[in-house]
Amino acid sequence: MKKNASPTSVVALDIGRWVAGPVEKVVQEGIKNISDKEIIEEIRLRINKPIMLRTNIREFFLPLKNPAGSNERTYVVTKEDLLTSLEKMTFSSIYAAEEGLRQGYLTLPGGHRVGLAGETVVEFGRIKTLKNISAINIRLAQQPEIDLADLLVSLLHKNKSFCHTLIASPPRAGKTTVLRQLIRLLSNGLPCIGLEGQVVGVVDERSEIAGMYQGVPSFDLGMRTDVLDRCPKALGIGILIRTMSPAVVAVDELGGVEDIEAVRDAIRCGVRVLATVHADSLEELKKREYLKDLLKTEAFERVVLLSRAYGPGTIEGVYDLDSGANLKPLTKVYNRTAGF
Amino acid sequence: MLIIGYLVVILGCGFIGLYKAAQIKKRPKEIREMINALSLLDTEIYWGLTPLPGAFALIKDRVDSPWKEFFGKLEEKINKGDSASKAWSASIAEVRKFACLEDEDWKVIATIGKNLGRADRNEEHKQLDLGQKHLALLHEKTKNQAELKAKMWSYLGFLAGFALVIVIM
Repeated sequence: MKKNASPTSVVALDIGRWVAGPVEKVVQEGIKNISDKEIIEEIRLRINKPIMLRTNIREFFLPLKNPAGSNERTYVVTKEDLLTSLEKMTFSSIYAAEEGLRQGYLTLPGGHRVGLAGETVVEFGRIKTLKNISAINIRLAQQPEIDLADLLVSLLHKNKSFCHTLIASPPRAGKTTVLRQLIRLLSNGLPCIGLEGQVVGVVDERSEIAGMYQGVPSFDLGMRTDVLDRCPKALGIGILIRTMSPAVVAVDELGGVEDIEAVRDAIRCGVRVLATVHADSLEELKKREYLKDLLKTEAFERVVLLSRAYGPGTIEGVYDLDSGANLKPLTKVYNRTAGF
Repeated sequence: MLIIGYLVVILGCGFIGLYKAAQIKKRPKEIREMINALSLLDTEIYWGLTPLPGAFALIKDRVDSPWKEFFGKLEEKINKGDSASKAWSASIAEVRKFACLEDEDWKVIATIGKNLGRADRNEEHKQLDLGQKHLALLHEKTKNQAELKAKMWSYLGFLAGFALVIVIM
């Protein structure tokens, strides 16, 4: 390891141990050669293709110096590399990752996400499993400290109750990170703005918010947070409301009519809702058939729009759906290259 | 003085015989213990979907030596990044000298580890069930033979001692 390795490269070196065979050495070497200012976001392995490493500012294929040491060549990933890496990632327990394989992802200790692509086996219109894995995408989980106090203020009513909030962003724009930080703030409370801690229930369908591994969360979600891991949102929201009596329910990536119905039920129960959704803009969001009603009627009160304009987590705006006003025009929330 | 020497020879041979008899008696017990361990593993895999290191950690606390050490080593090796099949055969090699099993028993146990952790839970269940059935057959066979063989060895040791003394005299 480099002398002054950044915390992120330490995390990345840790992730290097999950790939197997010659790939492990190539990845570890590649990570060591990245400057401290860069933050590694993804490591991609594709069958018969070179290993790709993506940082916050560039992407490149990993070289491996040949024995002669004169030229550099890229290492080509083999089927065996993918299989042995998958075996390592599941601790030789493919059966335990069946549900993940069905949905095309795994969660590693530390909350790192592994996306998988390959050949799906479909039975009765439902994906039974994934075989002949041809691509693995390891997304490094990081927990940058973001100052979201200002954002939180704009999401509160005068009586300090939390507004029903929808966080919208394109992929890789920090949606889950912002959600995680907001959950923690709501759970712990924020004395500087007079906000008391409240019970937050999280339905973590894809183990992305808490990064649960074998029942242990990888990310701090606060003192008063209960997590229902790997539970479909439509079922989990109701379960949490009945069993844990949360003041706020948080979910990631609303994606269907059932999810929307569950959110609507939660709102009717008097629970505050914090959710995320994939969208590029407010206009695009309003065009979604299943979201239209929730945005127009009684449901969501605020929409937080994120982008990567100044790095992941850039807040493009906080929209009050009653008045249509942008309460918080574009600000640079945190700059990952600066190491926040 | 000579009589003491003869007694030492008789007792020495006798103890060797008794030791061998104890080893023979242990064999069916160890096979039975392994069947129990595989049953626990099957439950952890099929019902608990527990990853192998976690399952081995649970099992090692519920079985006696040498399987306690065997599952402990398996847990350690898989946590280090070894594949289950590689860890299984390496652990067999390390534990073999402390156990009372014979080649045919080890062959069955080695086969169980070949595909471990590579299939879905139904397939794992089938494989473990098959392994338990093979071991159960071996257990029946060895249990019937063990009593007779153990008795034979416990007499044989002392008798061999006497024979040696007669020859020396």
